[in-house]
Amino acid sequence: MATIDNEHLTTLKGAYDVQLMEVSLRVQRFGGEEDSRRRYETYTVEVPTTATLLDCLDAVKDKHDGSLAYRKSCRMAVCGSCGMRLDGGAVLACKVPMRPYVDAGHVVTVAPMGNLPVVKDLVVDMQPFWHKVRAVKPWLDTSDEAPPQTEWRVAPEQQEAISKESLCIMCGCCVSECNSMEADPDFLGPAALAKAYRFVGDVRDLDTRDRLRDLNGAHGIWDCTRCYFCNQRCPKGVDPRDAIAKLGAETFREGLHDGIQTLMTDEGARHAKVFIESTYKGGYLRETELVPKTIGPLGALKEIPFALQLARAGKVPNPLMPHKAKDNAEVKRLWKLLEQQTPRHQERALRPEDVTTAKGV
Amino acid sequence: MIRHDVVVVGAGCAGMRAAIEAKRAGVDVAVVSKLHPTRSHSGAAEGGINAALGNATEDSPESHTFDTVKGSDYLGDQDAIAVMCHEAPGDIYELEHMGAIFTRGTDGRLAQRPFGAAGAPRTVYSADITGHVLIHVLYEQLLKHDVTVYEEFFATQLVVDGGRCAGVLAWDIVRGGLHAIEAKHTILATGGMGRMYYGTTNAYACTADGMSLAWRAGVPLKDMEFMQFHPTTLKSNGVLITEGCRGEGGYLRNADGERFMASPAPNAMELASRDVVSRAEWVEIAEGRGVDGCVLLDLTHLGAKKIKSRLPGSRELAIDYAGVDPIDEPIPVRPGAHYQMGGVDVDIWGETIVPGLFAAGEVACVSVHGANRLGGNSLMETITFGRRAGQAAAERAREEVDVHARIDRAAVRDEERRLEGILTSTEGERPWEIRDELARTMYDKAGVFRTESALLECREKVAELRERARRLRIDDKGTRFNTDLMSALELHSLLEGADCLVTGALARQESRGAHSRLDYTERDDERWMKHTLTWYDRGEVRLDYKPVTVTKYQPLVRSY
Repeated sequence: MATIDNEHLTTLKGAYDVQLMEVSLRVQRFGGEEDSRRRYETYTVEVPTTATLLDCLDAVKDKHDGSLAYRKSCRMAVCGSCGMRLDGGAVLACKVPMRPYVDAGHVVTVAPMGNLPVVKDLVVDMQPFWHKVRAVKPWLDTSDEAPPQTEWRVAPEQQEAISKESLCIMCGCCVSECNSMEADPDFLGPAALAKAYRFVGDVRDLDTRDRLRDLNGAHGIWDCTRCYFCNQRCPKGVDPRDAIAKLGAETFREGLHDGIQTLMTDEGARHAKVFIESTYKGGYLRETELVPKTIGPLGALKEIPFALQLARAGKVPNPLMPHKAKDNAEVKRLWKLLEQQTPRHQERALRPEDVTTAKGV
Repeated sequence: MIRHDVVVVGAGCAGMRAAIEAKRAGVDVAVVSKLHPTRSHSGAAEGGINAALGNATEDSPESHTFDTVKGSDYLGDQDAIAVMCHEAPGDIYELEHMGAIFTRGTDGRLAQRPFGAAGAPRTVYSADITGHVLIHVLYEQLLKHDVTVYEEFFATQLVVDGGRCAGVLAWDIVRGGLHAIEAKHTILATGGMGRMYYGTTNAYACTADGMSLAWRAGVPLKDMEFMQFHPTTLKSNGVLITEGCRGEGGYLRNADGERFMASPAPNAMELASRDVVSRAEWVEIAEGRGVDGCVLLDLTHLGAKKIKSRLPGSRELAIDYAGVDPIDEPIPVRPGAHYQMGGVDVDIWGETIVPGLFAAGEVACVSVHGANRLGGNSLMETITFGRRAGQAAAERAREEVDVHARIDRAAVRDEERRLEGILTSTEGERPWEIRDELARTMYDKAGVFRTESALLECREKVAELRERARRLRIDDKGTRFNTDLMSALELHSLLEGADCLVTGALARQESRGAHSRLDYTERDDERWMKHTLTWYDRGEVRLDYKPVTVTKYQPLVRSY
């Protein structure tokens, strides 16, 4: 054996020195079909002061009960495995430091995400989530199949349009908290719609119109109630509600040129369309047209008792004398300006074949 | 019985790229993965992916090849390296056309950043979430091509019948139950094994699964002693802070504020090769010039604007897991086990010596990384060699119309009995106890610096742990989402991988790349410019060697 004088270099002294703290947590347990009772267990574990919720669950699983089930992998908030509810709101377990809760003397409650069926303990069935992602045709449509010789040219500011949506890790935290989905389980939901905008907003994508038509259908973008819970709960700053708003704006922008009607078929879409049309006519919303044009004349008849009730309270404007802007010409000028804006499909990225000479390949 | 032409085990960048290529070639493909594809650890890659596009400054595949050969400390196979470096630009353009959202220059072309030990700014990137962008674009393509995915299926065994791989046995994690998945060709793409180290950048899922599957199926593992330590990982949980931080101009300082890289790498400084930087840090910390067991990664001089636009992910990680905002103060970092350069011995088409079995990505060793991998080369390897393995497997499957892979019912029953044994065992240790002991042993005895005495202790400990792991007891006796059972299976893989690593390390009496021996401090090309092979031999590790492929570049002294 060769002699050496720096054997001490093999092992790092103090590598395991950490300060510890005690954390208590109440965890929802559920055994699945065989044992369908949901119950709560409280565990107390000793973990480093830097520990996250995920570290605490690991300590519970190692030291208390190895049957506790939850998903995990990267423990750095990028794989999207460990979405769950902490005190009633969705979080990534690996992104929540526990120290503040310990300092406040608060025992957190941990439960599986909402709006998805529970498989066991903190594990939910993600299949409904992925079905909706698949439904938005989540891949770039460039219609080129031959091996590319160079890249598309995309200006940084063009790409900036989808920078937030591209951060999505598909953890499901937004879906867990989505109020619309609670009422309509078929609503595409914030994650799938943010994914859809990632393509609609991509200047390389050639399928904008068809995408928008689909997204304006039943269970599409107009089902969102704008509660903003998805923005609030997203651990990655994707802001799905903003993406949904952008999809609405793109719909109008695209539709202004060829007639919005072809794109907007769903009830929610028609509702939004009334706003557009009546502001075009007179600069104001004509409330009395809103209901019949949204749900149709037959549906509107059923709403007559409600309308009378509103009228008695003085909340129905005179249908014969709608609000009108003082200077309707200005309204028209504004609309002209809007119409002159180029629809996105006309400001595409430079196709590689257009730039091959420039690049000299 | 499930049957496909090609089955890919693992769904990170290499696995998905392989599956897409095979599917495009027109064969029936399925992916088996213990995680949903987008949960794979490729998604955690931050800094970028290397290809000599020449967008930033003049560059060439030859220059990329030379840098990689030198970076490998001349242990990389030069034919394989040339393949990757020459095919890389085409693969990058293709990723971009698939929809990858890479960072752009003002001219709209792909931006390229400097990375360690590279002669030109060659690293294509997406801020500091390059892996995330790639894993999602590949998943999009997987959906587009309608590839069958057995999600959350844990591969427990490769079935070799008559000398040919006939497919894989896999446990359905969600519902429970073992399935035989027959395939004419099986491609392993299960990633790395960092979890055998206490300090590691790797996800919980990186547990040497594929290495162990191949090893037990009779394929040698190559160069397993070469575990790369990444120089900038967080103390609290090992999370990686990208090399891009140094690429963008970050400094490494010791407790006295000195940029200590000036001495070991006066030219490259912080952008020297990873092994060089990790050793320098280790010495600073071990000799008392560290701060709480770390050195300091200083980005403060880059300014808030640059940090927010180029390194937003790193900033978020530092805030979340180190409690430090790098705009205001330096990030404490230390070396952590990061990447297994070695792995399943394959040729430049990803093929192993067992007919019907391929491997690609970190699980494989082609070898393009040799004794030390350059930052940005591993993502590139997953794409180029994933594609090649998918193409080769599909071609074979199409030609071999007469081959019918069959998994014998008896093999399934044997494996069911083994799993049943773990599920019902009432005595023995819990897997985590052995796992934690292994992780500390490896970090202390087979880390950045190694000696014969430390490695001997390490090997003895690993042998003891392997013996103890024969009797495991798990709490979860159910079949639904039983991660306790998974942890027992993963522990066996980790132990076998560790045994191969330490056996190779003990034998290799030289210092080369990531394998740094305090008792043999020089590279010894005469005796050791050769690949280590570790074979399965009735449960034990048998050593063997094979030559390195040298084409153009004769070994030189490696300095930065």
